[in-house]
Amino acid sequence: MSAAPLVQARGLGKRYPRVTHPRDRLRALARLVLGRDMPDATEVLADVSLEVRAGESLAVIGENGAGKSTLLKLLTGVLAPSSGVVQVNGSVAALLELGAGFHPEYTGRENLALSSALLGFAPGELRSRIDDILAFADIGRYVDEPIKHYSSGMIVRLGFALVAARRPDLLITDEVLAVGDEAFQRKCVAWIEDYLSGGGTLLLVSHSMYHVRKLCRRALWLHHGRVQAYGDVHDVSQQYLAHEERRIAAEGRRPEAIGTGLEFGVVELRVEGDASELPCARGQGEPLRIEADVHSRDGRVPHLAIGLTRADGTAIYGTSSEMAGATPDRLDAHRFRFRLEFDALALLPGSYLVRAHAMDSEALRLFDTVERQLVVRGESREFGLVRLAHRWSGGGPATVSGGIA
Amino acid sequence: MSHHPHGSRLASLALQFTTRDLRNRYLGSLSGLVWAVVQPLLLLATYAIVFVEVLKVRLPDAVGAGFVPYLALGLWPWTAFAEGLVRGSNAIVEHTSMLSKIAVPKLLIVFAPVAGSFLIHGVGFLMVLAALDLSQVPIQWQGLPVALLLYLCLFLWTLGLAWMLSALTVFVRDLAHVIPQVLTLGFFLTPVFFAREMIPPRFALLTDANPMSVYLDGFRAAMLGTQGLGDRAWLALAAALAALALGLVLFRRLDRHLEDFL
Repeated sequence: MSAAPLVQARGLGKRYPRVTHPRDRLRALARLVLGRDMPDATEVLADVSLEVRAGESLAVIGENGAGKSTLLKLLTGVLAPSSGVVQVNGSVAALLELGAGFHPEYTGRENLALSSALLGFAPGELRSRIDDILAFADIGRYVDEPIKHYSSGMIVRLGFALVAARRPDLLITDEVLAVGDEAFQRKCVAWIEDYLSGGGTLLLVSHSMYHVRKLCRRALWLHHGRVQAYGDVHDVSQQYLAHEERRIAAEGRRPEAIGTGLEFGVVELRVEGDASELPCARGQGEPLRIEADVHSRDGRVPHLAIGLTRADGTAIYGTSSEMAGATPDRLDAHRFRFRLEFDALALLPGSYLVRAHAMDSEALRLFDTVERQLVVRGESREFGLVRLAHRWSGGGPATVSGGIA
Repeated sequence: MSHHPHGSRLASLALQFTTRDLRNRYLGSLSGLVWAVVQPLLLLATYAIVFVEVLKVRLPDAVGAGFVPYLALGLWPWTAFAEGLVRGSNAIVEHTSMLSKIAVPKLLIVFAPVAGSFLIHGVGFLMVLAALDLSQVPIQWQGLPVALLLYLCLFLWTLGLAWMLSALTVFVRDLAHVIPQVLTLGFFLTPVFFAREMIPPRFALLTDANPMSVYLDGFRAAMLGTQGLGDRAWLALAAALAALALGLVLFRRLDRHLEDFL
């Protein structure tokens, strides 16, 4: 592997010209033709320096509008920087936006022709790879239908499959993993892991700290167009999450629940003692503690239902305080606190939702729903959602594999 | 920056974009390419009836050609030029959404519609020549290489202008409306329907300094044996090279800023 970094950016900045009137455009044109700089401009990115060596993986994180997409566009050459330099030494494939470069009127197959040429496929190379691409995309007969008939998930599948076939030196993706269904997401993540272990280099923009930590070893946090932190992914993402929590806390969470006039409302949902809206991460087989405060308008004792669902909403398990005959702690005239504990989470690694529903005193009507993302981490090759207690037996000594690891 | 592809990749991309441009024109139309073949012949027949049979137009004997072949040899190159220029000038603005998402060599985005126009009308041009030949018009086929060379010059001239105008249109959107108007004016200031010999001497400069009149007269001289270009021949090449060089310089200067104004 060569010593030169695959991507190098120094003092990268982007300013967009302020053009409100057609006359501004004319003035800008005159300046540019004469080879001068733009006079007044809005700065969206300033002084970003980064370096990605072959085999490394870097995540770019930050709030919406922090300049993440602009940075990627500068690195891929879609945009030209206003200041600084970018150097890329190798082949680059970017998945920046859903279906970028695809023409809606053309079939999937026809779109692959132009997109593959743009990705640097030699003429004829597509023909020899098309079977692999279609197998990965797994869109069946849709490949000969116009793209406009595709679901957004299918467009992502096709785009990702093409990039996967290319195996570029550097892969740049911007939040596209969020679009496909879960099975395909997992396929993409598996592919990326394989690509990384094979020496591939990744630059990823994502709001999912789960993906960021799973796939990247380093992270760059952009804040208002500037680098806030740059380094090890765990340090940077923790700083970022802490910042986000403070921001959300400062904005004041769910004050409306009390004022909405609902008879019963979930005022606060704490998963593992954390009341923020960020995903909660637990290891497989670890306990899970849930606390919920319910506001009761007229002071009657409410009930609480708690459900665990898959990220797509499919129910996995649900129970309520009424079923168990549990009563909440009364905090004040209107506020009641419920506590629920799962001793050992049987959920397999993946992304889930915890749902809390406020119910009336008779547990007949459901009033308010609050949800929280739950990420179960772990290494497991089992299939499905939960681990069921089981036992293999046969000739040799039986192995017990039902309890907590 | 190392984002710009080179050599064979650029050529293969140019081919991809041009075939796509050709396909875009006929996308969704049943008759598709059949129409592209039939339309020039129908048009030629219509001109023959209207101008020769109805209006009884005749060119001065000094021109040395019948009206229909004379018109045909001017009209097809003009159509390729005008259509290529209009579509090329709009190409960058038209591809806004693509250009804001993926890195594409922008020069090629303009190249494709110009090349597409010249390919389609080039085929029409050859068919019209064959049709004329079949209807007893003496076509000098030995002049075809010269005509094709001229056609290439005309293409480069159009491409250069299109590069210039496509970049300028991003800044001055009115150009999209102005260019077709100017082309209509130019059409009547260029000897397409009339011969250079019919113009009063005080207007002669309008056509003599007009590169388009040089190209059109060149095609007629090559294929019909009308009066040659003489000392105006160098203008055909000079105009093409000048437009191409100026177009490239201007486009390259504005290229990196186009995205900001789209």
